[in-house]
Amino acid sequence: MDIIIITAVALLGLYMAWNIGANDVANSMADAVGSKAISIKQAVILAGICEFSGAVLVGSHVTDTVRKGIVDPSLLASMPNITAPDAATMLVIGMTAALLSAAFWLHFSSWTGMPVSTTHSIVGAVAGFGIVAAGWESVNWGKMSQIVASWFISPVAGGLMAYVLFRFISKYILERDKPARAAIKFAPVVVFMMAAVLTLGTIYKGLKHVIKDIPWFTDDLALVLSLTIALACAIVSHIIIRKKLAGKEELPISKQLNYVEQIFTPIVIISSCAVAFAHGANDVANSVGPLAAVVHVISTGTIEMKVGVPFWILMLGGTGIVIGLATYGYRVMHTVGTDITEITPSRGVAADIAATAVVLICTRMKLPVSTTHTLVGAILGIGLARGLGGVNRAVTKKIFGSWIITVPAAAILAMILYQAGNFFLFDIIKSIILANGA
Amino acid sequence: MSLISDLFGKSPFGPLVEHSKTVHECVELIQPLLEALIREDYEEIHFLQDKISELEYQADCIKHEVREQLSKRYFMPVDKIELERFVRRQDKVADMVQDFAVILMIRNTKLHPSLHDQFFAFINQIFQVTGLLLNAAVEFQNLAEVSFSGAEARVVLSLLQGIGEEEWKADRLARTLSKSIYKLEGEEETLNIIFYEKMLLALGNIANQAENAGDILRTILVQQ
Repeated sequence: MDIIIITAVALLGLYMAWNIGANDVANSMADAVGSKAISIKQAVILAGICEFSGAVLVGSHVTDTVRKGIVDPSLLASMPNITAPDAATMLVIGMTAALLSAAFWLHFSSWTGMPVSTTHSIVGAVAGFGIVAAGWESVNWGKMSQIVASWFISPVAGGLMAYVLFRFISKYILERDKPARAAIKFAPVVVFMMAAVLTLGTIYKGLKHVIKDIPWFTDDLALVLSLTIALACAIVSHIIIRKKLAGKEELPISKQLNYVEQIFTPIVIISSCAVAFAHGANDVANSVGPLAAVVHVISTGTIEMKVGVPFWILMLGGTGIVIGLATYGYRVMHTVGTDITEITPSRGVAADIAATAVVLICTRMKLPVSTTHTLVGAILGIGLARGLGGVNRAVTKKIFGSWIITVPAAAILAMILYQAGNFFLFDIIKSIILANGA
Repeated sequence: MSLISDLFGKSPFGPLVEHSKTVHECVELIQPLLEALIREDYEEIHFLQDKISELEYQADCIKHEVREQLSKRYFMPVDKIELERFVRRQDKVADMVQDFAVILMIRNTKLHPSLHDQFFAFINQIFQVTGLLLNAAVEFQNLAEVSFSGAEARVVLSLLQGIGEEEWKADRLARTLSKSIYKLEGEEETLNIIFYEKMLLALGNIANQAENAGDILRTILVQQ
């Protein structure tokens, strides 16, 4: 019997992951497709690989925040007139309801064309469950406001960072008398930054999660290691770029600029992969977090403060994202690839590095932010740095609107589904939990 | 559908370069027009006039396209108002070519042989002016690439610095040509002389408008 329940919830998690893959993934590769560095087909394949590895390698950190940070499960158990099995049952139904309502909301909004964040949907849904199950006070509003603040801060931080990065690229490479010569010197600096962000994000927490219990693998060592890797990447790129741009500095500036953009082409492909990687790492939790909680409660019959995410669940999340991308996301990728006409690789690199850095930092700080919104912030930052022909400011309004709508909508949906679940399934699930707990 | 693709407005710089090229295609038809006039091939003049009219219409369409992309909702790397002024001026160049063609078309004027060389020299000088403008304007994409500053911007600026001098030379040629035209008093039909002067003015306007457009582009670059 519990196998049926777990399978059902796992299918829900898969459905949620499918939604993520269908809606969000295309955005993460936008800079590479938009600057015509890769074809749409290549972008789909690369995004699939990067999302999956991001989800599986770095994915587990946000997971328990979404589940536990917003609503404290121990509060459920300590409520009067509620036994421990009751609380466990409520948690199972609640998490399932949250998962279902977030997925429904996402599906609905992508059908109507609203730019809704997967992260915000699940956060709203979990909060909704908390309010209806254990009252207004059960929601950790401190944590909740921290999360909501991070939604403001992450696009702004992405924008600031992209602004600075793009000004750097502009000032030290593009605006020089001999851009080709300047690129040999300074493009490796950009490569260094990108590699450092990526390896830090992966090694610092991600790989340590996979390769557990290595005593010598301290934080300091991880830092040194990633900086060394980044330095090596920079040196290799310097050698390649020097070879490619040799003798080009005598051409007219406009020709040199073309060659410099060509240098940025492979970099923007890698940096877009980094965004997809960070996206996978950050967003997989939205689908598998609640699932991990349900599986844990059902199989042990207890509520614990912390739940490890089994590897198979991460794999499931990653797989769902890839399926979503393959069945529907490629269409969004097509829209993105053909609509963006004016981004060049140098811009894409700056936006990507900024977005990746912000998302990975937030992931580490256990703050679930929207990758898409961070990237939008980064691109706006480049617009402010006079790097883009035309950037639509109205998008910020759309994002704002989606914040205001998504959280209440997902919350209310979760409340309704939770009540329905309680009504129909409470006794069945309670009996399973009692059986397993005993 | 996708937030990111919503974010990007079309950049006006691609169409802007296209506009410059189309306008210059108009300018390039001045020489064949003058040659046809000398051959007294009025059919050819009609044909060329139609062609110019069509190109002028095309330029007009592109101008509107550029304007639409200068919507308030978009961040631009340059002043939208200046950009709008620039494209309007550049469009005027095509208008003036059209005016010149119409003058040749409405009456079968014969060009006095003594004026041939001077007219050719004059349009040649006008090409110097419009050519400089074209060379600068086709760099718009690259200028956007460097955010309208730095070395590339300086290169375009130095191109534009020559435009005033070339226009001044054109003015001087216009004056001598004007004198030669009035010297024909008594020798040539008065109506012909009036038409020569009309041609001269129309051609002079082309160079003037090109210079104005170049000045606006300079302002855009200097502001950055």
